[in-house]
Amino acid sequence: MSRLQAEHLFKVFGRRPEAAVPRLKSGASREELRAEGTTAAVIDASFEVEAGQIFVVMGLSGSGKSTLLRMLNGLEDPTSGRVLYDGQDLTALSPRELREVRSRNISMVFQHFALFPHRSVLENAGYGLEVRGVPRAEREERATEALHLAGLKGWEKSWPDELSGGMQQRVGLARALATDADLLLMDESFSALDPLIRRDMQDQLLDLQKRLKKTIVFITHDLNEAMRLGDRIAVMRDGRIVQNGTAEDILVRPANDYVASFIQDVDRSRVLTAGSIMERTAGVPDGAATVSAEAPVAELFAPFACNGDPVVVTDEAGRPTGVVTRDRLMAALSDRPVQRPEEVTAGA
Amino acid sequence: MPRIHLGSWAKTAVDWLQAHLGGLFDAISTVLSGMYDGVDAVLGAPNALLMAGILAVVAWWLRGLLAAVLAFAGLALIDSFGLWHEAMSTLSLVLVASAITLLTAVPLGIWAARNRRVSGVLRPVLDVMQTMPAFVYLIPGVMFFSIGTVPGLIATVVFSMPPGVRMTELGIRQVDGELVEAAKAFGTPPRDTLTRVQLPLALPTIMAGVNQVIMLALSMVVIAGMAGAGGLGEAVYAAVTQVDIGRGVESGLAVVVLAMYLDRMTGALSRRVSALGRRAAAAQGAAGLSRYASVLRYRPGTAVATVGVVVLALVAGGMRIAGGDGDRDTVAAGKNVGQGKSVRLGYFPWDEAIASTYLWQNILEDRGYKPDVKQLDPGPLYTALAQGQMDVQFDSWLPTTHKQYMDRYGDKLTDLGSWYGPTSLELTVPSYVKDVNSLADLKGRSSEFGGRIVGIEASAGMMGKLNDKVLKEYGLDGEYKVVSSSTATMLADLDRAIKKKEPVVTTLWSPHWAYGTYDLKKLKDPKGAWGEGEQIHAVGKKDFAKDFPRVAEWVKNFKMSEKDLSSLEAEIQKGGKGHEKESARRWLDARPGLEDRIAPVR
Repeated sequence: MSRLQAEHLFKVFGRRPEAAVPRLKSGASREELRAEGTTAAVIDASFEVEAGQIFVVMGLSGSGKSTLLRMLNGLEDPTSGRVLYDGQDLTALSPRELREVRSRNISMVFQHFALFPHRSVLENAGYGLEVRGVPRAEREERATEALHLAGLKGWEKSWPDELSGGMQQRVGLARALATDADLLLMDESFSALDPLIRRDMQDQLLDLQKRLKKTIVFITHDLNEAMRLGDRIAVMRDGRIVQNGTAEDILVRPANDYVASFIQDVDRSRVLTAGSIMERTAGVPDGAATVSAEAPVAELFAPFACNGDPVVVTDEAGRPTGVVTRDRLMAALSDRPVQRPEEVTAGA
Repeated sequence: MPRIHLGSWAKTAVDWLQAHLGGLFDAISTVLSGMYDGVDAVLGAPNALLMAGILAVVAWWLRGLLAAVLAFAGLALIDSFGLWHEAMSTLSLVLVASAITLLTAVPLGIWAARNRRVSGVLRPVLDVMQTMPAFVYLIPGVMFFSIGTVPGLIATVVFSMPPGVRMTELGIRQVDGELVEAAKAFGTPPRDTLTRVQLPLALPTIMAGVNQVIMLALSMVVIAGMAGAGGLGEAVYAAVTQVDIGRGVESGLAVVVLAMYLDRMTGALSRRVSALGRRAAAAQGAAGLSRYASVLRYRPGTAVATVGVVVLALVAGGMRIAGGDGDRDTVAAGKNVGQGKSVRLGYFPWDEAIASTYLWQNILEDRGYKPDVKQLDPGPLYTALAQGQMDVQFDSWLPTTHKQYMDRYGDKLTDLGSWYGPTSLELTVPSYVKDVNSLADLKGRSSEFGGRIVGIEASAGMMGKLNDKVLKEYGLDGEYKVVSSSTATMLADLDRAIKKKEPVVTTLWSPHWAYGTYDLKKLKDPKGAWGEGEQIHAVGKKDFAKDFPRVAEWVKNFKMSEKDLSSLEAEIQKGGKGHEKESARRWLDARPGLEDRIAPVR
């Protein structure tokens, strides 16, 4: 079973929101409803997130992605639909039970950090545990541990306003990690940081994820960030999920023109991996250059610059699993998706 | 536009409430005056300078040495003015009113912050509470709770409530929504969200509201003084009504000292109690100060300050036990009729009222009673007597001047008989005003007198009579305007006019010390428009004779001649404001045997 399932989630604001749901189901557009004074923020969103996965929801502002995220931990009540966490229907829980789930299983990291200015870094990191009633000594130990994980050793006694933006968000991350919640909801968590820091934080998140194997739902409006972080990516537009797939699915097989126009600016050479564009072959040419399957295709440029020989792609154990030819690389990097017969059925 | 009788509806409502919810009001009154008396007893108990020391230690703890020294100096100044007990009463009033206000305002503010509808309903109510002239609250306040501390407290609470509610609501609303969301996202229950996140972050704003509440409460004490609440308000009010500049400045300054103390202390307290404030203070402290400045800003720790306050309080307690209660012993043996029973004497600032009341204060003290003397305007005083909140007053002009009050409250009062009479009311001019000897002579000469007759308190029966009858009778009503002020203002105006030899016409009555001091002419009243001379009665509350049988007996037999009364008034006039009691004592001591004739001990 998936760790998290969203089933046909709707969120409508305004007068008589329930009445709007059947109309949206039968195809009414967002604009029609807006004319009547109701706003459909999320329309029929369904997806599944596997344990240990990073699921990115990407969309521009107003696409409904933040509302979607808030329905996952009950900060917003869905107008219709269900959220299942380990098979448990969160929308059916009493407020008290829901709070219990929030303090134990689901934690959240915010866009503007949302640190409590009247609490020290340590007190902030331990907040979730404090709410749960964990005794002080244990709370501080676990909060300190979480701060170390987030790279903030030695800052426990500081105050949030003494830290830089990146460091503040590390505190936000530590606060979310300290409760040992399995599911992390991250709401544009790195969007307020400047680009270099953002990259650092993304690296650190990926690094932490390797060790901790959390289940993460990450909201962003930045496609490059989505591609870097996401095991799967859902693209939202006007309240609907228009495509849900891996980074490569979206790059290689955009579901519609909207997604296609979105991915124009993406640096494909850093998103696509050698493994994803290789041809599986049994025979491997001797003396050829090798790259790992995980490597971005950008790393193929150097070998091809020397000669035109195919480059060998190896798996984690270093065994050759396939090759990439120069033509294949060029095709993958071109804007226009290349449809090849054997991959049409393999898509999302 | 038809006349909408809002005023009479309000009056009807007040009457109905008075008739049907009297028990409730009594209960409220008991609780409130109990709170006030308790706080006042604690604050007023220690020796003045010791209490100033305690308050200075608090200042030291909150703000530093310089603040402590200034606080001590300011409070010592109040003591040197002889206003210490008044100041402590005022402080008690402010503290009790502020406590009640905050206990109501903060929860209301929280509620309003969490519920838009409540906020919408509260807003216009708060506007009304804040902008309605505070005097208006005093009228029903006095009707429901009689005179004294309680209506003053209630008016103060009503007036100082709005900033408390508003600042609390604002403070909570100002808290970043993302922080509240973060609290929820970690499973914080709503109540804890309030206590862990919203209130701590709103605290600086709420404390600014607290500061406002306290300052507004203090600004109300003068108005509360008009309703008979004691303290500096009463002192200021008395000074104003008696045109006593010196006393006015001193009591006003005492209010300022208290205001500054409370303002600075609550400001510092808000930095102490809020985590954000502590952070700011620490950052400021780290900036580095010169050695001199750091000595002035040195603040003892909470423990040290507590020890200081406790030590001073213990010393105060010790002194009180050692000092004992000396007053009681001064009652001569065999003359302690009252056995320490309290008698409440009310008076309005008319000279014969002052004279007779302070005379009786001395006599009753000598007979072992504890007379409590309070100045009020006639209206509130009669109301208080009718409600049994005041025991007796000595200056009831009957049957005419105070007719309106007797008509209204007569069945709730006891007439203790006349002690002086007959009196006369008249218009008076200085004798240098030629050719004006009778009321009829005033006609056609209004330009000479500036078209005005200098009157006394608008609520005085004499003023009504002058306007409604006397002026009409002599055809002067279109020509002269009666300017109402106060007895003291009238006399001050008379004094000023006489010094400049200006023509002036004033209301006056006999007996009055002014006739002995200035050369004045009483204007003849050939038509008898002022009516017969009146008798000055003592009037008690309904159960006066039952509660104070001996006093009632003495008062019923009490008589004073014009000569005695004018000399007593002159003695008090000579002694000056604030020394009425001592002056009456002197006058009494100069007449051996008189006291035993007035109040014989069987």
